[in-house]
Amino acid sequence: MFKYQFRWDMVLGDNFDFMMSGLQMTLIISASTLVLAMIAGLIIALLDMSRFPPARWIGLTFGEIIRNTPILVQLLWVYYVLPIVFSVRIDSLTALIIGLSLYQGAFISEVYRSGIQGVPRGHSEAAQVLGLTPLQNFIRIVLPQAIRMTLPPLASNFVQLIKFSSLGAVISVSEITRRGMELSASNFRPLETFTFIAVVYFIICWPLAMGIRWWERRLRAR
Amino acid sequence: MASSPIIVAEGISKRFGENQVLTRVSLPVMERDVLCVVGPSGSGKTTLLRCLALLETPSEGRVVMEGATISTPEQEKPVKAAARAVRSEIGMVFQHFNLWPHMSVLENLIEAPLRVKKMPRVEAVAIAEALLAKVNLLDKRDAYPARLSGGQQQRVAIARALAMSPKVLLFDEATSALDPELRREVLLVMRQLAAEGMTMLVVTHEMGFARHVGTRTVFMDRGEIVEEAPGAAFFEAPKTERAQRFLQQFEE
Repeated sequence: MFKYQFRWDMVLGDNFDFMMSGLQMTLIISASTLVLAMIAGLIIALLDMSRFPPARWIGLTFGEIIRNTPILVQLLWVYYVLPIVFSVRIDSLTALIIGLSLYQGAFISEVYRSGIQGVPRGHSEAAQVLGLTPLQNFIRIVLPQAIRMTLPPLASNFVQLIKFSSLGAVISVSEITRRGMELSASNFRPLETFTFIAVVYFIICWPLAMGIRWWERRLRAR
Repeated sequence: MASSPIIVAEGISKRFGENQVLTRVSLPVMERDVLCVVGPSGSGKTTLLRCLALLETPSEGRVVMEGATISTPEQEKPVKAAARAVRSEIGMVFQHFNLWPHMSVLENLIEAPLRVKKMPRVEAVAIAEALLAKVNLLDKRDAYPARLSGGQQQRVAIARALAMSPKVLLFDEATSALDPELRREVLLVMRQLAAEGMTMLVVTHEMGFARHVGTRTVFMDRGEIVEEAPGAAFFEAPKTERAQRFLQQFEE
């Protein structure tokens, strides 16, 4: 270890752009997955809270299955099994985005549910008495308050998504982790390469996480 | 001229599981009545009010508004349609105000007129401002509820209910969550409404209000109406022993 000669230029030199293209892919995957996961989460949450038992059953079962199986297995399943079942070929990027969206959506649905159930009943009773329809009540009274409560947990989910996107490496999506694997296979410098990648993830995720914590404190203070 | 009933509870019973909260309660609220419902806690006063506000479905009996049945245990289609038609004519003021915290005072007031009555915004704002002036809070027009005292919040809540020009206003212990010094300002507004001829059904622990402002007093205990008397008569000469015992608590 003492005699190890660090060669950071093997990562930061000519190969830097190669790694940054991976980072760009990582961010694109995280952002698009967040949007899709928010939509998937809303659908699952609405099913969970539906008045119709079959819808509730579907929502809860789906949520339980996803929350209680490993994300890696799900990604492999989406990538290798879905094409067999539906006899369509999907590329690895699509598979990763679908898999991550469903996985995170199942968790986000719980965030929505607690946000919606956290709005005091009296607020919607007041709206009901004044004659607002259930839909108006939900959109005008419940949702705006629920969204305010769910924003910080949603942001935390974004941090998680950035980290989970590294799993794309397993199904050869060229995000930054995959790029790192490819690079270290050619420069034989795993120490520098993977340390660099870890630092990049940390530089992005840590300020985000701190910002969210600060934001949550501010919301609570109000 | 004999006044007509605005809203009537007809033989209403309410059970929550094993718990019988109301037993065949019948109560007509006449036009311009200031009907005060008093009684120990757990006597079913609030549940009765919530049945009339259509927030609870009675287990037995029905609610009738100006001749039309608006609530029955089965909630048949025509009943539901009738309920929708009169929904906003029944105003309610809650113990915990229930203002919407994400909207300013003005927005709280114009929300229902805009969405339910499809009133033009200019008109809704004009009405809201007049009502805020009436409850003496026009200067808080753009404030958010969290910035107001409890008494101010409750006055806004009353103005919000009035913005739909209801035919009857239900008060569910509107002053119980307030400090004594804040109660006065709310009671003053209620007194003013009574003087203007608003039809009111007031569930309350404010014996002074019931005695001096109420036109009729109803005493409830264990889910039943035990005694009913016009105005102050109930306080001067309660007939039943239960009512006498109840009133004694307030004399100390």
